[in-house]
Amino acid sequence: MSSLTRPRSGALVSGSAKSDVNPLVSLREVRRDYALGAERVHALQGVSLDVERGDYVAIVGPSGCGKSTLLNLVGVIDQPTSGTVTIAGKRVDAMSDREATSFRLHNIGFVFQRFYLMPILSALENVELPMAEAKVPSDDRKARAAELLEYVGLSSRERHRPSELSGGEQQRVAIARALANHPDILLADEPTGELDARTGAEIISLFRRLNSDGTTIVVVTHDEDLANATRHKVHMRDGRIVDA
Amino acid sequence: MLLPFLAFALILQASLPQTSQRTIAIDEAFAAEAHLKVGDRVAIAARPGASAAADMVVIGAIVRRGADPSQVARGDFVARLHLDQLQRISGYGDRVDRFAIATRRSGDIDRTLLRINHVAFGFRAYRSSDIAVETSRTFQVVSRFHRAIGVITIVASSIFLLCIMVLKVEERRRDIAALRLMGISRSSVVRSIIIEAAVVAVLGSMLGVVLGWATSLFVNWHYQALYRTPLYFSIVTPPVIGLAVSLSLILGVGAGVLASMRLVRTPPLELFGR
Repeated sequence: MSSLTRPRSGALVSGSAKSDVNPLVSLREVRRDYALGAERVHALQGVSLDVERGDYVAIVGPSGCGKSTLLNLVGVIDQPTSGTVTIAGKRVDAMSDREATSFRLHNIGFVFQRFYLMPILSALENVELPMAEAKVPSDDRKARAAELLEYVGLSSRERHRPSELSGGEQQRVAIARALANHPDILLADEPTGELDARTGAEIISLFRRLNSDGTTIVVVTHDEDLANATRHKVHMRDGRIVDA
Repeated sequence: MLLPFLAFALILQASLPQTSQRTIAIDEAFAAEAHLKVGDRVAIAARPGASAAADMVVIGAIVRRGADPSQVARGDFVARLHLDQLQRISGYGDRVDRFAIATRRSGDIDRTLLRINHVAFGFRAYRSSDIAVETSRTFQVVSRFHRAIGVITIVASSIFLLCIMVLKVEERRRDIAALRLMGISRSSVVRSIIIEAAVVAVLGSMLGVVLGWATSLFVNWHYQALYRTPLYFSIVTPPVIGLAVSLSLILGVGAGVLASMRLVRTPPLELFGR
């Protein structure tokens, strides 16, 4: 496995080369209400949170406390009922669908619990996918995809399809894919949830290496080992941050 | 032995010289049914069992049947005799039921028709094309019936194709949601589904054409043997292939558009079931 970090122009993982006085992610008095039949559910009740560039944050708490809602807002998948969300100096809480899609493509990397790799594409092609959408030239994206797969320790498996890979290998491909477009921040929702303890430990180790190489990471998890491996833990309960 | 008296036999063989060893020509169905071959000697008579009036003849030729749809389902056998022998056996003398006239120039046809119909009492002259239209009316009805079946098949298969595409896309709700979360645009998702649908439709139609062609070969082989006719019962022509592939492509792309538009209009989080 390699562990290099280069400037933005050719960075393998991004983050450390950027210097910014303001936090990378800033949430201010964010509320998110849902209509559930005749009732309104207050998923987030005035949450404020800053995530510095290069930080590694775990959001923890019991089920239904608002962790995933918070991650969705930081991931520009959802919009708050009130309050502001700023990422890399840009307000993202009221973006149109088109703007939000483009912002996610270029600024945010997602890692899901269930990997969601395209079954007909090889590992290399799966990593290339976001770069193809971002119109990266074919040679450049192939080179970067190969480099990222080498980084996550899968250079020998780049021609394999997801069905030929183990769960841990699939998750590592998904992490490489999430890093493809040099995102400002990597968001992970229960990234070890589908993995056994040993494979989960490999992913935790990979996340630590990514963070030490400069990637800003926010994970939502019930996995204590993963939460303990982060720099900061944000505890949530009933839609509020109770300890940060 | 049944001997249908065909007008063309009367006309074609009218001027042949008489010989001591008379020959006849029979069709291949007749030859197969009666186990006859060229050179066999047979007795012919106007009615079965009329041995006193029978003539001995030699089978001179076995001819293939023409590709005439009106003859397919009929169980008739055909024997062609020299005219003088046919006249004598049948007792018809110089009478004929039908005869054909060929004109040197097409411009003479109307004039000839008019003249025959004007002067020949008891006869009615027709153009051969009019007779062909008249005799093929049944086949036009059958053809329309087949077309109706084809339209019903296309409608049913297009509904089937749409359902398949919708189910196929529905199965991948979460994959599509993940793509959308990663920043893949709606148009890219729709485009990829349409391309997939088009490829499936074209490959499916090509497979269908190959199956249709193979089935067509079997149908022709079976019915040509059954009816002993060179008639083609089923044909797969380039225009039919073009129509099938084009239609399939249009339906496949249409189904892909409908299925994908339905999904990309749904927010990604809803696709994830959140």
